[in-house]
Amino acid sequence: MEDLAMAAAIGTLFGMGVFQMLRRDLVKAAMGFALLFNAVNLFILSTGAYRGASAPYTTNLADGKATSDPLVQALILTAIVVSFGSYALLLAMVNLVSRRFNRIDSDEVKELIN
Amino acid sequence: MANNMFLLGIVFLPLVGAVLTVLLSPIVRNNDMTDLIVNPLQRWVAFAANLAAWACSMVVLRQALDSGTQVYAMGGWTPPFGIVLVADSLSALFGVMATTVTMLATLYMAQCWDKCVNYPAFVTLALTMSAGLFGSFYTGDIFSFFVFMELMVLSSVTLVAISDDRLGLEAAFKYLFISGTGTLLLLLGIAAIYATFGTLNLAHVAEQLQALEGERPLLARSAAVMLVSAFLLKSAVFPFHFWQPDFHTTAPTPIHAVLSSVVVKVGIYAIIRLMTLWFTEEAAIIGQLVMILGVIGIFFGSFSALRTNNGKRLLAYSTIGQIGFILVGIGWWGMHKNELALAAAIIYAFNHAFVKSALLMVMGLVSSRNSLKSAVLRPHDNPTVPPPIIGIGTEIPPIIGWLWLLGGMALAGVPPMNGFISKLGIVQSGAAVGDWLVVFLAVSSGVLSLSYVFRTWQSVFQQKREKDNAPEDGDKPKFYVKSFGDSTLAPTLLISICVVLGLYAQPLVEAATRTVTLLQDPNVYINAVKLFGG
Repeated sequence: MEDLAMAAAIGTLFGMGVFQMLRRDLVKAAMGFALLFNAVNLFILSTGAYRGASAPYTTNLADGKATSDPLVQALILTAIVVSFGSYALLLAMVNLVSRRFNRIDSDEVKELIN
Repeated sequence: MANNMFLLGIVFLPLVGAVLTVLLSPIVRNNDMTDLIVNPLQRWVAFAANLAAWACSMVVLRQALDSGTQVYAMGGWTPPFGIVLVADSLSALFGVMATTVTMLATLYMAQCWDKCVNYPAFVTLALTMSAGLFGSFYTGDIFSFFVFMELMVLSSVTLVAISDDRLGLEAAFKYLFISGTGTLLLLLGIAAIYATFGTLNLAHVAEQLQALEGERPLLARSAAVMLVSAFLLKSAVFPFHFWQPDFHTTAPTPIHAVLSSVVVKVGIYAIIRLMTLWFTEEAAIIGQLVMILGVIGIFFGSFSALRTNNGKRLLAYSTIGQIGFILVGIGWWGMHKNELALAAAIIYAFNHAFVKSALLMVMGLVSSRNSLKSAVLRPHDNPTVPPPIIGIGTEIPPIIGWLWLLGGMALAGVPPMNGFISKLGIVQSGAAVGDWLVVFLAVSSGVLSLSYVFRTWQSVFQQKREKDNAPEDGDKPKFYVKSFGDSTLAPTLLISICVVLGLYAQPLVEAATRTVTLLQDPNVYINAVKLFGG
């Protein structure tokens, strides 16, 4: 059941993220970026966190209980920091772009075409 | 085996330098002293840090070639549990390329008067970018590869966004989106690898893949697809190339020199690593893919460089073409297991870095004497576009023109420059595998690169400057940004490296050949890391 809910959550987030990211509104596109990163983080979580019900303490390991994998959570922690950093940078740049161009439609931000 | 401290130094020293430059910036603020003391001091700290990293990387290269793979286990955690830095000869060669170019780019930065270099964060970001760059060449763990790569990408995006060129913001924004997509692919691939093998250590994954003997678990092949596309995107290979000319052209010159010559090689390095260490069974398919993409890239790059109207953009397009040559070499190795082809690709990657960064610095020297530091090549009537750089070369020291000429010869592969050696290697390996069509296409595009480099040389360094070039006061827009005092030392050093590598290519060729012999057997890498764990 947990697996199914997890898969549904990852799939929904991916779908929403891709849809938002392809929008012309730059703010919505940036939100899509954040959603996609969350989808990937959940995917990483799903690769190990539900291998066992109990926490990975040494006593549990000694008893031979199936424990969840602690490494994936450390991995996501790093991935969250990285994605949060890029999201903040992206929003800062959306802010600058909107001030310079007075609009946030990606079709109208096209000074680079030469 | 003991930890190799030099290996740590390559990644750690730029980070130390970054912290020092941050600490330096608040000493004096909003004061004339900032311009006089703090900014130059920051730049020289950056140069010192990169110089130290360069020295360390040379030592590591020597050790890796003489006594085999070097390992550093972070925090004393032995592999496969901890994160390791590994320098086999491939990492060491690419690392020396990266540190040399970055060190000389910081030297250029130390003496250039681009406005954005004076921002307090600029030097710090340049140092974190080089730390991420060196780290991604030396790391032995796929997840820390991702972290180093993101460090590099985010720093370079910020550096381009604060560039003197006002288009930098838009280009950086565009790149951040595209690179973010690539990062997602990379992260998905890493997660798939972790789900399948339960480890992230390169050598440990390789060991388990080898034990499967060609049988592949469900997620392994999709992981390969995601990783390869992410690396192709980061190297700006043909179908994913569209961000590269914009992003590189608008970057400040010292950063452009690093981006266009070394940063694009990170993906190349990762693809070589993937094909030789992990997916040896699939090397033929990946090889075929990258060879076709490489040939398209060679042509796309050369023709776009011919028709573009901007000097820096010309060099950025030319990078797409040169990356194509490297991919063709890798592809031939994957398809035919021809050792010469992979050695030629490595030599090509090594040589191209010096040529391209030297040419970019020369173009930066020329264009920073133009209004708005623009490198527009041809005359035009558009008042909103800065004047062309025609004839600026006749008003500056003639050595800059000769540097451009020598660099252009190296780019096109004219002896005695090092470009000749790399093109010769590609042609020889093409003859060995009998792929004459691709050899013909590659050589003919070499002629194209000769034509665009010499055409630029003629118009910039030979023609007379048009007198009405300088906009008058009044209703014409003001283009002039104060710019003077750029250094010619760094490009001169880079071009002399090119000449030396062209005349005395034997050590490089021998190192590359030995590297390929070691790469043929993934066990060399696996055992080195495994033995270190004890």
